[in-house]
Amino acid sequence: MLILAARRFGAMIAIMAVISFILFVIFESDKLGVAGKVLGPYSSLEQRELWLEQNGYNEPFLTRYLAWVGRALTGDFGQSIRFKAPVADLLWPRLGNTGILALCVFALMIPLSLTLGVLAGMREGSWLDRTISFGSILTTSIPEFASATFLVAIFVFKLGWLPGTSSMTGGFNPVELVLPVLVLVLYDFGYVARMTRASMAEVMTSQYIRTAVLKGLPHRQVILRHALRNALIAPFTVIVLQLNWLLSGVIVVEVFFAYKGFGKLLYDAATFGDIFLLQACTMVAVFVAVFSQFISDVGYTLLNPRIRFN
Amino acid sequence: MAYIRRKAPHPKLVEAQGELAAGKMSRREFVRIAALLGVSASAAYGMAGLPAPARAQGTPVKGGILRVSMAVQEMSDPSTFDWVEKSNQARHIIEYLTYTGPDNVTRPYLAESWEPSDDLRSWTFKLRQGVKWHNGDDFGADDVVFNFTRWLDPATGSSNIGLFAGLTEEYDTGEKDAEGKPKMGQRMRSGAVEKVDDHTVRLNFSRPILSVPENLFNYPTAIVHRNFEKDGKDLSKAPIGTGPYELVEFAVGEKYVVRRAARPYWGESLDDPHIGGPIYLDEIHYYDHGPASTAQLAAFASGQVDAIYEFDVASYDMAASIPNAEIYESRTAQTSVIRMQMNQPPFNDKRVRQAIQACCDVEVYRELVYRGRGDVGEHHHVSPIHPEYFELPKPVRDVEKAKALLAEAGHAGGLTITCDCGNTNGPWQQQVLEILKEQLAPAGITLNINLMPAEQYWAIWDKTPFGITAWTHRPLGTMVLSLGYRTGVPWNESRYSNPEFDKALDEAEAIVNVDERRKVMERVQRILQEDAIMVQPLWQPKFFVASKKVKGMLGHPTQYHLYHRVWLEA
Repeated sequence: MLILAARRFGAMIAIMAVISFILFVIFESDKLGVAGKVLGPYSSLEQRELWLEQNGYNEPFLTRYLAWVGRALTGDFGQSIRFKAPVADLLWPRLGNTGILALCVFALMIPLSLTLGVLAGMREGSWLDRTISFGSILTTSIPEFASATFLVAIFVFKLGWLPGTSSMTGGFNPVELVLPVLVLVLYDFGYVARMTRASMAEVMTSQYIRTAVLKGLPHRQVILRHALRNALIAPFTVIVLQLNWLLSGVIVVEVFFAYKGFGKLLYDAATFGDIFLLQACTMVAVFVAVFSQFISDVGYTLLNPRIRFN
Repeated sequence: MAYIRRKAPHPKLVEAQGELAAGKMSRREFVRIAALLGVSASAAYGMAGLPAPARAQGTPVKGGILRVSMAVQEMSDPSTFDWVEKSNQARHIIEYLTYTGPDNVTRPYLAESWEPSDDLRSWTFKLRQGVKWHNGDDFGADDVVFNFTRWLDPATGSSNIGLFAGLTEEYDTGEKDAEGKPKMGQRMRSGAVEKVDDHTVRLNFSRPILSVPENLFNYPTAIVHRNFEKDGKDLSKAPIGTGPYELVEFAVGEKYVVRRAARPYWGESLDDPHIGGPIYLDEIHYYDHGPASTAQLAAFASGQVDAIYEFDVASYDMAASIPNAEIYESRTAQTSVIRMQMNQPPFNDKRVRQAIQACCDVEVYRELVYRGRGDVGEHHHVSPIHPEYFELPKPVRDVEKAKALLAEAGHAGGLTITCDCGNTNGPWQQQVLEILKEQLAPAGITLNINLMPAEQYWAIWDKTPFGITAWTHRPLGTMVLSLGYRTGVPWNESRYSNPEFDKALDEAEAIVNVDERRKVMERVQRILQEDAIMVQPLWQPKFFVASKKVKGMLGHPTQYHLYHRVWLEA
């Protein structure tokens, strides 16, 4: 087990190293371009060359890369061009905001999708199964920008119940989270519910469940004690992988509701060409992607003793 | 409170009065010109027999916070501002020498009065006394001279250098270009900006120019403290101004907050319908909800803000459906130009540019894109609302002519061109290009639209060979032509250069009489139109929305914010 975890961890570090190098090549090969971005389009060639000299850009490429990695490891990602502030100062609060959003989505989405998935999978083909399956396919197939528009039209313009943007300018306000959370849950719960349903349905047809039923155990006990334990292994992986989606996949929702989270930051960095901010955001997103994969792999192995990676 | 300080009225004023009496000049135009020549706005309105603009109805209430949804941008150097939003943030802290109202009439602001010489080459500005900077220093001539010196130094990179070209000169830099010709530079002429005394500055132009006071309210011409460079060249870090508000909080992309300064504001005694007077609002907040007008409207609809910067025509019905919303619409000289760089192939061939223009049916754009609102573009960047606009025959679509021109230029087999579009002013820019694409197709021209994020477009707007660029409103046609089309000026994005045009523009700028100027403008507009450096689809109307409880709000065609006379109903 430990060896497996260590091996996965090593692979994770290697992937991040490779991606960071590719990133560095993409963003920092054109030195004059970097200087032009920092100093603005009106800067002269002399000004740019001076800046490059002052900021150590005349060192060999590999030396620059290693220095950059060293600084990044200590949390120094440089200065954001657009926001005129240290990248680290922007990154952590924004990550925190997205964390809050993700937490709310998880808190709502996990119980909802697991319950619905189990209910549907218990009796495959029943009217309950059909209703839940149809509902989850429907909500999952509506893109976030469309459901956001519908919800805003109803709850903001028609009914006037909810705030239309979630920029939290007057301090943290939970009401402003309602619409973004709703949009994300609507989009995501169907997927997890259907995975749970499939897994549950498969378990329900297995031999040991039939044995339990034939043994005369009450239906309730069959489901709770025997079926659920095995049926929840597959959804666990799916849920952990949603972490990654909730970090960088929420760009649409964060931009739509002007929520100051990581996704909006990544969007702003990309549209403005804010090199240093973009590097940091990408590395964070990559880290979360490989780390959630790592957790998912290790967790899956722990939950299911039949699986061993050799 | 400007008044005519000279013993005899300015000869141009006498001339204008004669024309007004003879019915050769409209009353509105007379007021505008009289104000430019140094007559106070109220006196000018009186002379023309027009009622002066009145203040908003109701009893103003002091206090409250006005919350506005608008992009919050960096605002380090006011002289290089390239977004009106940046200037809106700064306008509450720093001020201008003059103020042009929504009525197109220019009024004294930090300058108490001005007096042009009879030949309109020398302009003397009397500055207000007793105006203090936020750090306690006295405002005076040194500040103004410092600002002009900065603007006119090409190293600053300010677009103002184009507006005040008459104060600069070309000189040989001593370097040679690739062809071995001497490289010419631009610099301030010695003696062009003169400090007469502590509160008087004289500008000495190399040619007559009338629009000086109007140019001084162009958004990058706010006056900063004379130690601006020493203080680090960053207004957001050293927010020293003369205005009624002080910076409290500023986070780019999030929030911008100013609070009414505790010390008395110099402008409290001003008697003007728009500027000065007792300042009512305690604080002004800008919240950044992103560039999409739907998000701004959603914030407004749910009461998170009291007003928004603007919304586009597609959201009109949505805005109108919000209870308690007051929609402000203004006819403006804002536009977007699909401009071609005349030194880049294939646009370096005039026939290609003319062929592209010949394919356009300009009437279609405002019908399809702006629901029939706004004015038709005529490919010369002078708007029908500009006083000196000369009505040329409307451009007509002629595909056969376009084909012939293309064949002559060696593109008989067809031509493929790519236009950069950042939708910097909303999705209508893209819609316009899609219409153009259809209009070009019959002539064998394939138009590819290269979409990119707005901020990416602003990084290349003056560099791309072919792109659609938004231009804001300016009160005079000559002003925008000086900024964008005079040879070698920083904002000359089409690399346009035609000595004949420059000469005609100089001539137009020197004529007070608007009918006379219009005659010269015919030539100016025609040269620009025939050189075919742009397709100009339309002139946009502008909309924003504010809550009915916000009183004294003005729909300014420039979208400039100035909230001196704005108050919130309890």
